[in-house]
Amino acid sequence: MAQIEVNQLCKTFRVPEREGGFRASLRSLWRRTYRDVRAVDHVSFTVEEGEIVGFLGPNGAGKTTTLKMLSGLLHPTSGEARVLGSVPWRREADYLRRMSMLMGQRSQLVWDLPAMDSFLVQAAVYGIPKDVYQKTLNELIELLDIGGVLKKQVRTLSLGERMKCEICISLLHRPAVLFLDEPTIGVDITMQARIREFIANYNRRHGATIILTSHYMADVTALCKRIIVIDHGRLLFDGALSELSARLAPFKVITIDLDHEVDGYDFAAMGHLLTRADRKVVIRVPKGQAAAITTRLLSDLPVLDLNIQDPPIEDVIARAFGERRGEGEMGARAAEAAGQLEEIGFPNPEGLGHPEALSHPDTVSHPDDGFSAGMDDRGSQP
Amino acid sequence: MMRVLRAFAAYHRAGVQTMFQYRAEIVLWAIWGLVNPAVLYAMWSSAAESNPDHTAAGFSRGEFAAYYFVLMIVGHLAAAWDAYEMGYLIRTGQLSSLLLRPLLPIWKAIADNLSYKVATLLFVVPMWFVFAWVVRPEFKAAWWQLGLGAVALVFGAILNFMLGYLVSLVAFWATKLDAMGEVYFGLGMFLGGRFAPLEALPRPVYWIAACLPFRWMFAFPSELLMGRTATVAEAVAGLAIQAAWILGVIAAFKVCWAVALKHYTAVSG
Amino acid sequence: MIRAIKLILLFARVSVQNIAAYRFEMIMRSIMSVLHLGAELVGVWTIFKNTQSLQGWGVPHMLVLVGVYRIIAGGIRMSIVPNMRRVFDDIRDGTLDFVLLKPVNSQFLVSIREFIVWRIADVILGAAVAVVGCVMLLGRVPPGPAAVFVVMLAAGFAIVYAVWLILATLCFWFVRIQNIEMIFWNVFEAGRFPIVIYRPWVQWVLTFIVPLAFITTFPAGVLFGDSTMVPRATPLLAVLVAVVLLVISNRFWRFGLRHYSGASG
Repeated sequence: MAQIEVNQLCKTFRVPEREGGFRASLRSLWRRTYRDVRAVDHVSFTVEEGEIVGFLGPNGAGKTTTLKMLSGLLHPTSGEARVLGSVPWRREADYLRRMSMLMGQRSQLVWDLPAMDSFLVQAAVYGIPKDVYQKTLNELIELLDIGGVLKKQVRTLSLGERMKCEICISLLHRPAVLFLDEPTIGVDITMQARIREFIANYNRRHGATIILTSHYMADVTALCKRIIVIDHGRLLFDGALSELSARLAPFKVITIDLDHEVDGYDFAAMGHLLTRADRKVVIRVPKGQAAAITTRLLSDLPVLDLNIQDPPIEDVIARAFGERRGEGEMGARAAEAAGQLEEIGFPNPEGLGHPEALSHPDTVSHPDDGFSAGMDDRGSQP
Repeated sequence: MMRVLRAFAAYHRAGVQTMFQYRAEIVLWAIWGLVNPAVLYAMWSSAAESNPDHTAAGFSRGEFAAYYFVLMIVGHLAAAWDAYEMGYLIRTGQLSSLLLRPLLPIWKAIADNLSYKVATLLFVVPMWFVFAWVVRPEFKAAWWQLGLGAVALVFGAILNFMLGYLVSLVAFWATKLDAMGEVYFGLGMFLGGRFAPLEALPRPVYWIAACLPFRWMFAFPSELLMGRTATVAEAVAGLAIQAAWILGVIAAFKVCWAVALKHYTAVSG
Repeated sequence: MIRAIKLILLFARVSVQNIAAYRFEMIMRSIMSVLHLGAELVGVWTIFKNTQSLQGWGVPHMLVLVGVYRIIAGGIRMSIVPNMRRVFDDIRDGTLDFVLLKPVNSQFLVSIREFIVWRIADVILGAAVAVVGCVMLLGRVPPGPAAVFVVMLAAGFAIVYAVWLILATLCFWFVRIQNIEMIFWNVFEAGRFPIVIYRPWVQWVLTFIVPLAFITTFPAGVLFGDSTMVPRATPLLAVLVAVVLLVISNRFWRFGLRHYSGASG
C-alpha cells in the first residue's frame, strides 16, 4: 500500500521585487511590485512503505517546499497528496502524531536547557505513555550514542551532538513517516557517516518510510536506492540511482597510468580530457565509444594500468543542472527568488539602532550553498 | 577629516535607505514620542482645571499645551537610544565587525541616529500639527527665543546622544545590563522635564534635576522655545552650560572609550 | 482537558528551570521593578504637589491605579509578553513550523510555552500599593468590591491577551516588524492615568474602540465600591468585552494560520 501519494502538486509564491539604489527604495515606500514564482510545478510520485527516497536538486529547486506540503505546513496551490491515508494540510492530530519532520537548519530543542528536558516536553505534547517513552528513548540513546550529552545544555553541544539530539527528539513518538530536510548540514564527515548509518539502521528496524533531502551526494548515494530529482519545481527524474547517471550522462571515465611520459599525443581527439599530470591521464568518453577508444589507447600508448568507471554522480548532476542553469537569466533569478523563500524574513541589518531594547539575537541561518560549492570543487568532496 | 565625512555620508545614505525598508517599524518607534507627551498634557491640563485658579505649577492649560507641543518636537529631534544598543552589538558580535573598520563605531551610531530622524520627518511633522490643532497651545515666543531655542535643541540632542553613548559603555563590562538603558531613559523622563515641567517637581527632586545634565537636554530647549525663558542673558547662560556639559561628556568619553576598548580586545575582541 | 493542564504545568516547570540559569538577570529585573514602582510613586507625588485631584481622582485613587497598572504589567510580562515575542521570533525564523507539526492546538501551545515566574514580584508589589490606596480612603478593603476587583482584573488580563494575540497574528503579514508590540505599549501608556483626564471623544474611543478603560481605570475604580466613579454594570460589560475579544482573536489567529500555510480563503 502506497504510504505517500502525490498527484500534480503545485505551489506558487508571490515574491516582492526590490531593486537596489536610493531612488528605488523611496519608490518602494508606496509601490510594491511582485513576481509569481513556481516553487513546485505539477509534481507526482508515490512512495511505498519502508522506502527511503532521496530528493535531489539545487538550492531553491522546490525540495523543501514539497516536504512542507507533505508535512502539512503548507497548502498547495493545486494538486493532491495523501500521506498515511490523510490529507496532510488538514493537519489532523492523528496524522501529526504519526509523522515527523526534521529540519537541519532549524532547531526545536530548547537552547538553555539540557536536551533531556526538551525530550520530556515532547513526550508530553505527543502524549507518549511513560513506559513506551522510556523504551524508545533507551533505544535511541544507544543507536545515536548520545548518553553523555543529554544532561548538558544544548547551547554547549557541538553541532554534531546537537544534530543527534535533534534526530532523537524527532523520533521519540515513533513516527511511521519521516521527512528529513538536510539532516547532515554543517556536520563533519565522520558525523555525517554516523548519522547516515543510524538512518539506515532505523529504517531497517522499524520500517519507517523516509524522504530525505540533502546537498551532500554521499547522503543520497549511501542511503537512497531511489532518487527523485527536482529542479525549478519540476520533477526531472524518478528512479534508481544507477539509472540516473545512465540517463543524464551516458559517459564513461577512463583512467590510464603510463609507463613513461609521452609527448604530443592528442588526447583531446579521443574524448574530453579531464586530467593530464605526469604519467596519469583521465579522459571522459561517450559510453558507446568506450570500448573502441580503450583499444586505441592500449595500442597507441605504453599503458601500465587502465581503469574504466562511471562518472562520479556529482558530475552527472552538475552537468545536467549546469545545462539547465545555462537557460540564462530567467533560471538564475527564479532560483534566487525561490532561494529567498526557503527562509522567512531577512537578517537584521548591521547595527540598526532603535530606542527600545527589543533586539533579538539574529538566529536566521543563510541558505547553504553546499550543493553548488561541492560541484565546482571536484577535488574536495564535502 | 574628509574621509570621515565621506564615510559618514555613506553611512547616512545607507541608513536612510534601510529606514525606508523598515518603514512600519520606524513609525512605531516614532509613535511613542507622540503618545507620551499627549497623555501627559491631558493629565496636566486636567490637574490645572481641577485647581481654583486653573493653573498648576505656574502653568495654565494653554501653557501646558505649548510646553508639551514643544517637548514633542524636542523629544523627537533629541532622541538617542545607544544606551540600549551597545549590549546588543557586543552580544551579537556586530561590534567586532564595526571595530574592524577604520572609523570609530560612534560615527555610524550618529549616522543612524540622524537617518532615523530624517526618515521619520514625513510622518511626525503632520502629527505635530494635528496635536497643535487639537490642543491649542498658547505661545509667546519672541524671535530671539526661537533662534536660541533652535541652537539649544541641537545642543540638547548632542548632549543626550553623547551621554547615552557614554553610559552604554558599561555594556563592555556587563553585557547583560540592558537595564542601563531603561534607567538612563527613566532619569531623562523625570529629571529632564518630560514627565512634568521642572517647576512642578517636588523640591528634593527639583534640586537633583538642577545639578544633572538631563534638564539641559529637554527642559531647557523647551522652555526657551515656548518663550518661558525671560532674558537673553539667561538663555545664553543656558547655552553655555549646555556646551560645558557636552565638552565634559566628550572628554569623559574619550577616556572611557580607550579603557573600554582595551578591556574588549583583551577579553573577547 | 486534563492533558491541557498537565501541559501548562510542564511548561511552567521547564520555564522555572530555565530562568534559574539567569540569576543575575533575575536580581537586576527585580531591582528594576522596584525602581519602576518608585518612579511611579514619585510621579504621583509630583502630580499631587500641584493639585488636589485629577477630575475626582485623589491620591488614594491614583495609588490604586498605579497598583492596577503594575499588576497588569507584571502579569503581562510574566506570561503574555514572552510567549508572544516567541511567536514573532518563530514566524520570522521559520521555527513556527515546529509548533504546527505538533498534534496540539497551535494557539494553546504558543500561549503557554513561556512563563517568567519572578515577574510575579510586580504583581505582588502592585497589589500591595493598591491595598495601601484602598485602606487610605476607606480604612479597610471591602470584601465585596474586592471580589469584583479580582474579576475585573481577570477580564482586563483576558482583554490584553486577546489584543496581543491579534498583534502576534499580524506578524504573519508583517513578518519583519520586530517591534509590532509597540502598538500595545503606546496605548497602554495612556492607561497610567484615569481615562477621565481625556476629552470625552478620547474617553469614548478608549472605552469602546480600544478597551483600555476596562484594563486599568475601571478595575481601579471598582475597588472603592463607588458607583459614581464606575457604573454598576461595568463588571458585566468587562466580562462581555473580554469574551468577545477572545473569540475575535481566536478567529483571527486561525485566519492568519491559513494564510501562513497558503490555504486560499
